[in-house]
Amino acid sequence: MKRVFLAVFLIGLFAVLGLAQTYDVASDTTWPPFEWADATGNLLGFDLDVMRCIAVLQGYEINIITYDWEIIFDDVGIGRADIGASGATITAERELKVDFSDPYWTSDQAVLIRTDSGLNIVTVLSGGYTVGAQVETTGAVFVQGLIDEGVNVTLQEYTLYPLSVIDLINGNLDAVIQDEPASEASATAQEELTIAGVIRTNENFGFFVAEGDPSGLLPLLNDGLKQLKELGAYDNLVRAYMGTDITKVEAAWVASIGLLDAGDVVAFAASLAELANQ
Amino acid sequence: MRSSCSALKGVGMATIWQSLELMIVKGLPNTILLTLGLIAGGLALGTLIAFTQVYGYRPLRWLCKGYEQLFRGIPVLVLILIFHSGLARSFNIQLPAFVSALIALALRSGAYQSQIFRGAIQSVPQGQMMAARALGMSKTKGILRVILPQAFRLSIPPWTNEFSSVLKDTSIASAISVLELTKQATLSYTRLAVIPGFGAQWTLLILLLVALIYLILTYAGNAALGFLENRLRIPGFETKGRIER
Repeated sequence: MKRVFLAVFLIGLFAVLGLAQTYDVASDTTWPPFEWADATGNLLGFDLDVMRCIAVLQGYEINIITYDWEIIFDDVGIGRADIGASGATITAERELKVDFSDPYWTSDQAVLIRTDSGLNIVTVLSGGYTVGAQVETTGAVFVQGLIDEGVNVTLQEYTLYPLSVIDLINGNLDAVIQDEPASEASATAQEELTIAGVIRTNENFGFFVAEGDPSGLLPLLNDGLKQLKELGAYDNLVRAYMGTDITKVEAAWVASIGLLDAGDVVAFAASLAELANQ
Repeated sequence: MRSSCSALKGVGMATIWQSLELMIVKGLPNTILLTLGLIAGGLALGTLIAFTQVYGYRPLRWLCKGYEQLFRGIPVLVLILIFHSGLARSFNIQLPAFVSALIALALRSGAYQSQIFRGAIQSVPQGQMMAARALGMSKTKGILRVILPQAFRLSIPPWTNEFSSVLKDTSIASAISVLELTKQATLSYTRLAVIPGFGAQWTLLILLLVALIYLILTYAGNAALGFLENRLRIPGFETKGRIER
């Protein structure tokens, strides 16, 4: 009897010590440079690496899973996943379903147009043209706001950005409105598109958890974010992901991820920034 | 500097090949699992409902009719969302995405398959049952030994149709984040859209590749079922009004 008790106790002890707490992170991995899947299926991106670094700093494990954008707030709100990290702007409407962390990124909306269209940011948004945006995004909300105020513009919504970009290229749309980093990535990849201008919406991205934060994750996230910034790793991650060539970042990530697995956040971020900007 | 046309083409082909590989390795298993699972579930349900509708008591027949009208009348996406988001939000039952898709699609396929089997059973000529009874078989034996084997053979062609249909329906599961072929394809083309040298136009190529994979799967399934149909064919057997070429 004593031996049984001892065995059970030891097993329990090892179980508690050996298993770090694992949280599921939901992300719509179709949005470079914030989150995407590379050619071999690795999930990387600014949001995801910030999540990974915070996890290392705060001492828990994460499991990143691809979720569909349109239902991600519903899903995380009811606790299907523990944390949401998907380039989500903090809005009052979304606050009703989820709880947000401190802002980790400030973004503006950029307007993408065909280089040869002869339009500028003012004319395209008020001259009776058609603007595309992704469903359930702040870009779409912005244009809808313009329409509600009586501005002469039409909104066309898409489930994914590349579909709107295709329409822009072949003339079905006159502009696409999307957060600046992603717009820049699009403009760099296609010669026939340029950024007409940037609308200073000053949106804040936040990570989000279920309403009421039942797992007590927000303090961990906020604290981890602060630590990340103090260590300088945050700035390196920004350098690595914003305005760089996607293929270079992917190669840099594969080369550097070993450092993060070993627990060194600073070295990982530094290596990533270094290799991505070569 | 890698500026020559052929070198760039090499990089292009490699990237496309990688995308294809990823779609097959990560997306295809889920598509196949989902299809087989829902067809099997639908088969079990379908035969049960069909039987009850043909041979059951009236109140049971009404229930079956209600079931098949319900599940044939709701769009697939709505049904999947009901099991995924609806159950979770209203009753706090959180099913994993794959399971919600499987259940919703299996229930729906069951409704369609039940009509296939019911039609097949009912198109076996009345004379067959009468002859069986005349030979001294009980009703049960008549059904099992005479009616069902014929009904089974009659149901293979429309069942092949159902198989083709549900294989493509699995792509709707991508809306609730099941990582099957279509979802994997979106991961590929959203990445290609921002790679210099590629761009959003490559979306079409990726989608065509996915379409090709579905086509191959459908063709393979149809071929297998056609083979089955030929093996089980009874020479000279035909229902009234059918012309054998």
